[in-house]
Amino acid sequence: MNKSTMMPFSHSLQPLLAVVLAALFALPAYADQPETAEQWLQKLASAMSLSAYRGVFVYARGEQVNSMQIAHRFHDGEVQERLVQLDGESGEIVRKGERIFCVLPDHGRVKLDQIIASGPFAEPFTRDLAPDGRWYQASLMDESRVAGHETVGVALDARDEHRYSYRLWLEKGSGLLVKSHVQTVDGKVLERFQFTTLELVDGLPDSEFELQSQGPEVERRLHTVAGDERGRLEGWHLNWRPDGFSPSAVPRSGNKQAVAFSDGLATFSVFVESVGTLVMPTGASRIGATTAYMRYVKAEDQGFLVTVVGEIPPATAMRVAESVEVDSSLSTRPQAETHDN
Amino acid sequence: MDERLKETLSAMMDDQADELSVRRLLSHGDHGDIRDQWRRWQQVRDLMHDRVSPVVDVSSRVRESLVDGAAPKSAPARGRLVTASGRAWHWTGAAAVALALAVGFGAGAGWDASEPDTPVVAGAVSATSSGNESEIPEVALQGLNEEQWEHLSRYLLEHAQHSSVGSGSGSMGYARLASVSGPVGQTH
Repeated sequence: MNKSTMMPFSHSLQPLLAVVLAALFALPAYADQPETAEQWLQKLASAMSLSAYRGVFVYARGEQVNSMQIAHRFHDGEVQERLVQLDGESGEIVRKGERIFCVLPDHGRVKLDQIIASGPFAEPFTRDLAPDGRWYQASLMDESRVAGHETVGVALDARDEHRYSYRLWLEKGSGLLVKSHVQTVDGKVLERFQFTTLELVDGLPDSEFELQSQGPEVERRLHTVAGDERGRLEGWHLNWRPDGFSPSAVPRSGNKQAVAFSDGLATFSVFVESVGTLVMPTGASRIGATTAYMRYVKAEDQGFLVTVVGEIPPATAMRVAESVEVDSSLSTRPQAETHDN
Repeated sequence: MDERLKETLSAMMDDQADELSVRRLLSHGDHGDIRDQWRRWQQVRDLMHDRVSPVVDVSSRVRESLVDGAAPKSAPARGRLVTASGRAWHWTGAAAVALALAVGFGAGAGWDASEPDTPVVAGAVSATSSGNESEIPEVALQGLNEEQWEHLSRYLLEHAQHSSVGSGSGSMGYARLASVSGPVGQTH
């Protein structure tokens, strides 16, 4: 395998890369080995889409661990990916550009296929992704080896208590992320992502991007959300959110009102929904780095469940949730169904 | 590899396998398959402990446990999940998680936020550092009924999609997605 395949400025990719980089960072491109943490992060951003690789990664948060097999390439102007769940029931996701094909196990009553179509999750938002120096202090860590590859470590330390810190390990040749930690300000690791095997290659055959599982197949097309539709709140508003978080996506699903906010690294989603007879407890639950904070809001005579879900500390999630105010206009609407299935 | 073999393998790692199961495992034809599974679990364990451990040869481990005859009677692994959850990342805990994944997300194994060294009222970290300590009510995921859990799962899934974009790490987003879709707790 050729580790230098994805050195960013091979001829065929140059025009595209220039666009990507310009869009992402509005900074001049450079062809040399990155030197600063910021330069490595720039390299990472393009490597995540443009590299060709296959491997197995492990993802752990809370007491959950998943391992997945992945093949990834940039082909015919689009990202192509195939992921296979290696533990438990087999599940498989193939993504070709904006088309998603899934064969997923039926996990109890939660039907993943109903949800997977409901939100955008493709490139349009990558421009939001550059971690901002105002919210994170970036620095280089020692070099080390991960899954047999030489890596450079980048530390992103939160500058305030409203977000978590990150440790990223990038493969030296390509800039690909091979390991990451999400951790609290005092260094307790909450979420881990790491390749256990990784092969960086020149190219991968089409056959590695075909669904291979048996089972009901679901096809979905990702849709993009226009910039002016982001963060549009209907019938409720947020009185507080941490500095640096801006609206990033407006999923349209069922009758609930949802908005996502990102600071370039962390994301949290706010859901406001009339829940009918369903009673949820008030408070925070944590799964690794993910906090879910739930509370009720009364408007007129109607109850709404406000839920904040995100990779943010519980105190931040609580403060966001408590700042949600439901306008009377939302409560006068027809009662929403609890579930949209 | 069928589920019972996986279960046996996992139990072996906890020294909990009964002899009969181990013999069945040994007679299983596809050793490569078993080795792969074993290696993945080992990697998971190492990952949890941030360390590199010597590679353990599964077949020798099996033989040892047969020779010693010391393997305890099969404590049903699913049952152990509950007790294992109390001890965060001890290997038995990690094995239990791996087991839970392998046998199809039984017994509400995941989603346990109540490890003693991970206070769930974890705003503590940020709250103390910022000096304005406030109580954050805690909701134990195990305490949710099926309907509540389903409701929260949907939010977690939708959020996972948002963050797969926001985090800039496509595969991480998928992993979160898969991770959410995993243990549908409390239904057993």
